[in-house]
Amino acid sequence: MTAANQGYRPGLVDMAAGQISREIFVNEEIYEEELERLFARVWLFVGHESQIPKQGDYFVSGMGEESVILCRDRAGKVHVFLNSCRHRGMKVCRYDEGNTPVFTCPYHGWSYGTDGKLVGVPYFREAYHEKLDKAQWGLVEVPQLCLYKGTVWASWDPSAPPFLEYLGDFVRYLDLTLDGWDGSEGGTEILGGIQKWRIPCNWKFPAENFCGDSYHNISHRSVDLVGIGPSGSGRRDMQERQMARRLHVALYERGHQTGVYVLPKDLPTPPSYQHSSVVAEYFAHCEEERRRRRGEWARLIGSPGEIFPNTALHPRQPRTIAAWHPRGPHQTEVWRWYLVDAAAPAEVKDFLRDYYIRYSGPGGMTEQDDMENWNYAHAASRGTIARRYPYSYEQGLGFETENYEFQGLRLPGTVMDITETKSSEHNLRNLYRRWAEFMDAGSWGELATWRIARAAE
Amino acid sequence: MTEPINIRILEPGTRIALIDGATAEIVSNPSDGVWVFARYLSSPDDPARIGSEEMIFAQDIVEIRPGD
Repeated sequence: MTAANQGYRPGLVDMAAGQISREIFVNEEIYEEELERLFARVWLFVGHESQIPKQGDYFVSGMGEESVILCRDRAGKVHVFLNSCRHRGMKVCRYDEGNTPVFTCPYHGWSYGTDGKLVGVPYFREAYHEKLDKAQWGLVEVPQLCLYKGTVWASWDPSAPPFLEYLGDFVRYLDLTLDGWDGSEGGTEILGGIQKWRIPCNWKFPAENFCGDSYHNISHRSVDLVGIGPSGSGRRDMQERQMARRLHVALYERGHQTGVYVLPKDLPTPPSYQHSSVVAEYFAHCEEERRRRRGEWARLIGSPGEIFPNTALHPRQPRTIAAWHPRGPHQTEVWRWYLVDAAAPAEVKDFLRDYYIRYSGPGGMTEQDDMENWNYAHAASRGTIARRYPYSYEQGLGFETENYEFQGLRLPGTVMDITETKSSEHNLRNLYRRWAEFMDAGSWGELATWRIARAAE
Repeated sequence: MTEPINIRILEPGTRIALIDGATAEIVSNPSDGVWVFARYLSSPDDPARIGSEEMIFAQDIVEIRPGD
């Protein structure tokens, strides 16, 4: 029996025991199955509307291993197309971003409008005798697209639930990244360019790290000692650790999870960004506004999280979204977007840009720590002997809480309060629980369990 | 065989002669080296095309004509 046909539940992913086979990270058959069963069915983050503000603007992004074009057509409508000519498959766009009236294939010259329609076919009259039905040969467009507070999401699966249903109650946690820091709806923009780089590990290593792996904090000790944080110490402003409840929150049916802090009632948010009086004042003002607008929910402070399966959220310091693009079982291409309040003063944006790249990305000190762990862990798990031994995900198993409430604030999801225990692998288990469900399930009919439960009521 | 024309640098307003004997004026140029958008000025094979705007394939452009 090969590893790939042992079955996922409870074979390779044994959540009752809290053990996961290394095969799911290194096995090529499993990887190929992942592309079909996971990446072709889920919702994936594609980009941000602020990257394509004008008609004809485009940004070449990725969904799974596929190259896609995010663009705004002449009528202002946003599209996501497979970046592949319908004639022989050549990429019709080989730039990272830009503005164009058409996407022209350099191979034989088929050309497509920004609405995806096939508009130019060389020798259409002479060679095709005008018989080619151009309407049938437009660019392949994603069947589902959602614009949410500036972000663009897409799914290849027409039967997937709409994006907001896919998120469920997790939308409240996503909003921590996408809303204005003053609590206003939306209002973020992308700061600078998109950082893209490849690392030699399976995409699930960074994915699980960003689910809320608080256990690896020791890895960043050296960065904390250097003090790259925006107030001159540590790597972030982390005063909330001393006064808030520290939680891991997972949505079982959806596969999304995040860390979060909840401040005690009536306690103000601690000061931050003390290295710049302008920035400190901006955020202090925003916090006041956020309290006014959001009331009790302003007590929630974001922490790293993950929208299933490969979109990482880092809502606060730095404020970023990352996509872990699979590039074979042994390689991941990381794309990292940095967000700021669009209305923030230029000095604030400049300060944040410097801090963000000091922390994250291929040259960021914190992310370098992470990459070193992921890369070597992956390499040391590929061997014939190494593969025989599962990883342990037992931390905190069985200590989760439903309907968690702290001083009048009830949080959606299943919660692990790690204020005293310091750490848990609750969120990591949730990622793999959902991953195994996708790998086993034949259709969204089996995956949308909340619909089944609702229908039964 | 005529020399190939670098159509990427053709500006709107440039007049071009096509392989079928038609002439056209460039309306816009995506600079992809493959297509230009042009309006027909004459078309001996199909007079109905005169005035219409079409995408013209690079290999169909045989000559740049002087303007008026």
